[in-house]
Amino acid sequence: MPETVFEPWNDPAANPLIQFRNVTKRFGDFTAVDNLSIDIFEKEFFALLGPSGCGKTTMMRMLAGFETPTSGTIMLDGQDISPIPPNKRSVNMMFQSYALFPHLTVYDNIAFGLKRDKLPPDQIDARVKEMLRLVQIEKFGQRKPEQISGGQRQRVALARALAKAPKLLLLDEPLSALDKKLRQDTQFELMDIQEKTGTTFVVVTHDQEEAMTVASRVAVMDHGKLKQVDTPDRIYEAPNSTYVADFIGDVNIIEGHGKAQGDTMAISWAEGQPPIIGTPSKPMDDGNVSFAIRPEKVAISAERPADRNNVVQGKVLDIAYLGNLSTYHVQLPSGIVIKAQTANSRRRASRPFTWEDEVWLSWTDTAGIVLER
Amino acid sequence: MRRLTWFNATSLTLGFAFLYIPMIVVIIYSFNESRLVTVWGGFSTKWYGELLQNEAFLDAAWVTFKVGFFSSIIATILGTMGAYVLVRGGRFYGRTLFSGMIYAPLVMPEVITGLSLLLLFISIGLDRGLFTIILAHATFSMCYVSVVVSSRLVSFDRSVEEAALDLGCTPFEAFRLVTLPIIAPAVISGWLLALTLSLDDLVIASFVAGPSATTLPIKVFSSIRLGVSPEINALSTILIGLVTIGTIMASLSTKRAVMRRERAERMAEQAG
Repeated sequence: MPETVFEPWNDPAANPLIQFRNVTKRFGDFTAVDNLSIDIFEKEFFALLGPSGCGKTTMMRMLAGFETPTSGTIMLDGQDISPIPPNKRSVNMMFQSYALFPHLTVYDNIAFGLKRDKLPPDQIDARVKEMLRLVQIEKFGQRKPEQISGGQRQRVALARALAKAPKLLLLDEPLSALDKKLRQDTQFELMDIQEKTGTTFVVVTHDQEEAMTVASRVAVMDHGKLKQVDTPDRIYEAPNSTYVADFIGDVNIIEGHGKAQGDTMAISWAEGQPPIIGTPSKPMDDGNVSFAIRPEKVAISAERPADRNNVVQGKVLDIAYLGNLSTYHVQLPSGIVIKAQTANSRRRASRPFTWEDEVWLSWTDTAGIVLER
Repeated sequence: MRRLTWFNATSLTLGFAFLYIPMIVVIIYSFNESRLVTVWGGFSTKWYGELLQNEAFLDAAWVTFKVGFFSSIIATILGTMGAYVLVRGGRFYGRTLFSGMIYAPLVMPEVITGLSLLLLFISIGLDRGLFTIILAHATFSMCYVSVVVSSRLVSFDRSVEEAALDLGCTPFEAFRLVTLPIIAPAVISGWLLALTLSLDDLVIASFVAGPSATTLPIKVFSSIRLGVSPEINALSTILIGLVTIGTIMASLSTKRAVMRRERAERMAEQAG
């Protein structure tokens, strides 16, 4: 039996849980969300990624019901949710500041939403205990939020938002208040919890690493518009614009004039240099293009490699030693600086190159992507 | 412990002497046997006894208490409601004007407040007495409550209220179950402030008080005009005592709150 891959967005028969249809939100003269349409499916872990002010938080607040769209409709499970106030929506939110109730214990914080639903006490008790177990804070049920650590508060906030078993859970920068080590551990726990509960998660973040790690799909936003909605690997390896390529990870961008050559494209980018061969992101006509290549796909060597089309020579300008990786900034004769990254897989190897060294950079025909300019 | 330098010691002595010598004089003379205020006639507590026999003073104290109690409660409710609307009501038309206007009575000379209230009460034909004093005190002290409560509302995270809505509260439930418990310390200090202001007030009360009701400050002030009596000294000493007890209790509870917070922080660290 073939393994079923979770890709409802590729299944035309799948019904989206959330549909934004031409949604626009204006605050005075400022357009926070600009005629945006998007489908989010059940059980997805969907990340809205973008710089601050790109409209991602506004989208989340519209889903929660704290803002209403200026125009367009938002459908949840086939129902227009615009007229429904936040307290009547089967949507819960985990706030960036956690927004725990300081006067209530951890237990009562988690029970808060259930009590509003007037559930019988034994049912509430069972559910709260289940939640405490899920996020592994059973020991701290009777403490106040100020009596637990930041990481535990984050768990309480998550448990409180999940307690009512919402159709959709919104997470606003869920891990931004944690330090790096804890953040990485918590990312995996978050994915684990999402899988266990089967809840649809929509996470808002400006941290691309976080989005890439946790999400099934990432939407990159800028100025109220969607730039690209895709799986993390597609966003990274096949960005559709220089904005997305530049926003996610590190990238070298070389501008030039492209000419189609079968499946590839030859880009003339500097006087007297052979053209760069790259793979276009989509079929495109000859014209001005940007060539984007990730630093880890650029090889650096002392001798000129014989077997590659894309070879350039330059001088080492800077070296950034990161422990696991080293990034070389190599300046080409035309003045362009290209970053090349190598893995430091051996501990005692001395650095092969140093400042001012003449080196060769090379990459394969498929390593870089050609983007329209 | 560090020893004070002679300069600091002098400043301390001078400052506190300036503050407390008048009160100490009152306390000492309240135990004076002699009826003459300036002549020491030996130790006695008889003026306290006489004070307790003095119906006029006791009535005035009772009126003051009633006025303080009711006016501070009205002021707390109205002041909190006002603060909530001004801070949380969004950017409704005229908000800036209202926010400014709530501070105006704080800087208004009391004589003017008293006079305008008096004119209002006369023009609507309200008989002056206990009720008008309560109204007048609630009017001027609610601004103080409002200022105290709104500074607390401004500093607390709005998303806590949104979380309450998100978890199924109606806006009123969110206020009752989340906002109010969180701002309670500010509401209580606003209430205490309103109570103190009411107990303390002479000027406004003397405009709006009628023959049927006199507050203690009015009574004290009018009897002083006939000459200082040892009874007044005894009364002052009792008031000083009450204020001292109140202050000590307030500072103890502040200290307890600090200790509780420190304990919470320690627990949080250990829980880490």
